[in-house]
Amino acid sequence: MPVNETVQDLNLDEYKYGFVDKEEHVFRTRPGLSEEVVRQISKHKDEPEWMLDFRLKALEIYESKPMPEWGGDLSKLQETLEEIYFYVRPQDQMERSWDDVPANIKDTFEKLGIPEAEQKALAGVGAQYESEMVYHSLKQEWEDQGVIFDSIEDGLKNHPELFKKYFGTVIPTADNKFSAMNSAVWSGGSFVYIPPGVELKTPLQAYFRVNQERMGQFERTLIIAGEGSRAHYVEGCTAPVYSTESFHSGVIEIVVEKNAHFRYTTIQNWSNNMYNLVTQRSIVHEGATMEWLDGNLGSKLTMKYPSCYLVGEGAHGNILSIAYAGDGQHQDTGGKIIHAAPNTTSSIVSKSISKGTGRSSYRGLLQVHDGARNAKSNVECDALLIDETAKTDTYPYIEIDEKSAHIGHEATVSKVGDEQLFYLMSRGMSEEEAMALIVRGFIEPIAKELPLEYAVELNRLIELEMEGSVG
Amino acid sequence: MSQAVEGDVASGEGVTDALDREAAEGRSGGEPEWMRERRMHAFDVYERTPMPTRRLEEWRYTDLDEKLDLESLVLGRRSDVADDPEAWPEGVLTAMEEDWDAAAHVVLIDGTVVHVDLDEALAAKGVVVSSLGDAMNDEDAWEDIKQYLATQAVTPERSKFAALNSALFLDGVYVHAPRGVHIDLPIRVTRWVSTAGAAHFDRALILAGETAKVTYIDEVLSEDLDDHTFVSNAVEVIAKDGANVQFVQMQRLGRNVFAHSQQRTLAHREASANTLNIALGATTSRLDLNAQMLGPGSSSEMLGLYFADGDQHFDHNTSQDHVSPNAFSDLLFKGALDDESRAVFRGIIRVHPKAQQSDAYQTNRNLLLSEESSADTLPNLEIAADDVKCSHGATVGQLDENSLFYIMSRGIPQERAERLVVMGFLGEVLLKVSLGGVVEKITREIERKLAHV
Repeated sequence: MPVNETVQDLNLDEYKYGFVDKEEHVFRTRPGLSEEVVRQISKHKDEPEWMLDFRLKALEIYESKPMPEWGGDLSKLQETLEEIYFYVRPQDQMERSWDDVPANIKDTFEKLGIPEAEQKALAGVGAQYESEMVYHSLKQEWEDQGVIFDSIEDGLKNHPELFKKYFGTVIPTADNKFSAMNSAVWSGGSFVYIPPGVELKTPLQAYFRVNQERMGQFERTLIIAGEGSRAHYVEGCTAPVYSTESFHSGVIEIVVEKNAHFRYTTIQNWSNNMYNLVTQRSIVHEGATMEWLDGNLGSKLTMKYPSCYLVGEGAHGNILSIAYAGDGQHQDTGGKIIHAAPNTTSSIVSKSISKGTGRSSYRGLLQVHDGARNAKSNVECDALLIDETAKTDTYPYIEIDEKSAHIGHEATVSKVGDEQLFYLMSRGMSEEEAMALIVRGFIEPIAKELPLEYAVELNRLIELEMEGSVG
Repeated sequence: MSQAVEGDVASGEGVTDALDREAAEGRSGGEPEWMRERRMHAFDVYERTPMPTRRLEEWRYTDLDEKLDLESLVLGRRSDVADDPEAWPEGVLTAMEEDWDAAAHVVLIDGTVVHVDLDEALAAKGVVVSSLGDAMNDEDAWEDIKQYLATQAVTPERSKFAALNSALFLDGVYVHAPRGVHIDLPIRVTRWVSTAGAAHFDRALILAGETAKVTYIDEVLSEDLDDHTFVSNAVEVIAKDGANVQFVQMQRLGRNVFAHSQQRTLAHREASANTLNIALGATTSRLDLNAQMLGPGSSSEMLGLYFADGDQHFDHNTSQDHVSPNAFSDLLFKGALDDESRAVFRGIIRVHPKAQQSDAYQTNRNLLLSEESSADTLPNLEIAADDVKCSHGATVGQLDENSLFYIMSRGIPQERAERLVVMGFLGEVLLKVSLGGVVEKITREIERKLAHV
């Protein structure tokens, strides 16, 4: 039976996490973005003068930059931006113990399918409820090792010198329109510092959640991995479904010092009305390794290209990207690697699945600067199309100014083969099971890199998305 | 991305004292009224289309502000060279004699057709090879020209420079192979440019009737010129049902030339339209090549080969449009870069909705021979049908040291070994071409360039 005919009428299930909690706010700004809003945010956070100046300067830059015309369709974004709240603060003070976390927030975690016991066991969970860290814990031994895992606000308050030294240095405010916006209104996010030589065995995790209709979330994360340290940071998000479009624009800055090894994992599952425009970048020093593991499953439109600036000799950058675009979704994702020093190496592996009217685009930039001798890079993009209405694009920019570079790029596009389906069905599987198995096999190289609970969650999500896709 | 400006606002960019409405008017002297209207329309499009900038994806790596100075150019004028080899620049005959056998020869000097000869047996079968200017006034040919010239393939609406060429082309070549006629030997066109400081515009219209077969070899060349010179060329290939067209362009222009060729092939049902583009000369060389797979079962093989040295800048902008199902396209562009040269490749495969069972491939490989050379490559895919086989690949690297070591271990000196490896690298493209004379000529040219490495 030809696949085309059978998979047309897919009927995606109601969004699994489409529940809404009652809102409880202490403070929120007026909708839309203005100087007044920026000043209010800064005042409310009791920030030093330099941060207010930084925000106001960023607002100016934001306003001077045109809306990007490439990537996804942003033509309706301006309307959305006029309606959203740029700052909402649910509580006045940070919670220190699990018992103090409000019941409705615990309830939210329950619905996300994370048992309380498991949560407590998870190391250093910092859950972001709306715009701010409301729950924060850090394992005692890490504190003893000098690790800082704070909300970004506390990072600024408690470690002003360290904060100021790195903040805004990896991603300049003027990098793009949305990094400028974030710089003006950022709120929430993490501040992480790992001292030299410290190795963290368990990942640092943060759950993100947007809970109020028409509310943007502008998390800002700054991570410094000290010389010779090793750590893994995991960020996952899921959001309730709303009728109007919503917006998320984060800025993630990471500094990986000499010989450090740092991995940043995101599984993004925003609800399908969300604009998700994120700037993620790392500076990777001599002998250090940076790995981005980037999963994009949700949102209406995601534009996100994690990047590695390999500035020290022998630095290594690694980007694993997986995208799933279902009906009405556009995942415009990929990665950027800049080889600016000799003997640097990198690899990008991207896998995308497009289904229904979904569209996934790989957009990548690979640059080798003059003098970055013996740089080696390999890029592989594979796209899987599940319906004839699905679309996929590949836009790899490769710019080489160095003779001794070894650069390769490969991409393939394929559909789920009738033969594969037929074979599995002849082994007694239903068509749906067979399809899910093929898709799981396709993403396996990336899923196996995830921490166990995320791999399980990813598989659960893929199964959910595949439900009702055939037959 | 659309370049068009809203409404009737005239941008006027690129309109100079020499390249203006009057020039387009002037060109239409002696031409039919419909041609005059077509030129005027093209000029309107040119005038209101903004000059491309690096903000446009298609011009991201070639800065026209830096590479092309339209203000400095005079309009290329009709050559008055006689139809007599004695009167032609020496380079014309040398190039022709290197590879003489042909079904027809056409010679253009500064965009003016000065010579045409065509095998009589083919003429008797209704084959037409002539100057475009003559053909549009010929009662047997003008209807086809009216139907196809700048209307379906390289239309003014394609781009600012397509509009400029459509408005100002001086002359060009018209080839028509009627239904069922196979022209076994190639048609050889030699285009010589001698006037420096000018903007030269010519074009070719190649029309292959149902199941007809045409091979067209176009060679454009000049000495190194003293002043900045613009050579603009447009090529339209229309391959009707079951037709087979092979188009080859060898660009061997001298330094100081900005060479721009805009080519578009339309392949109808079961037709194949194949191209081979070789870039060796000019200071800046830009190719815009689009293959349209319009009919089911159509195909296009698109080969490219380039070797840049000095401060040469080559920019290849290609696209493969799969509009119909069951079509095949395969692109392979390979190039070697020496000194401070730079190569750009931007290719895109577009599989349109409903173009199921498309088979589309695209590969760009670059060899960097010097520290200062650079390569930018963007092999893009846009796929809107699910039952397709598509892949693309791109590589940039230096000479394969294993091959080099192996050859040197056989007692061959390093310099010669390097040349052999480069020839081997580029040879992959030539192996796919079954035109012996062309392959020999290109090999010789590359070897000549390599001798300076």
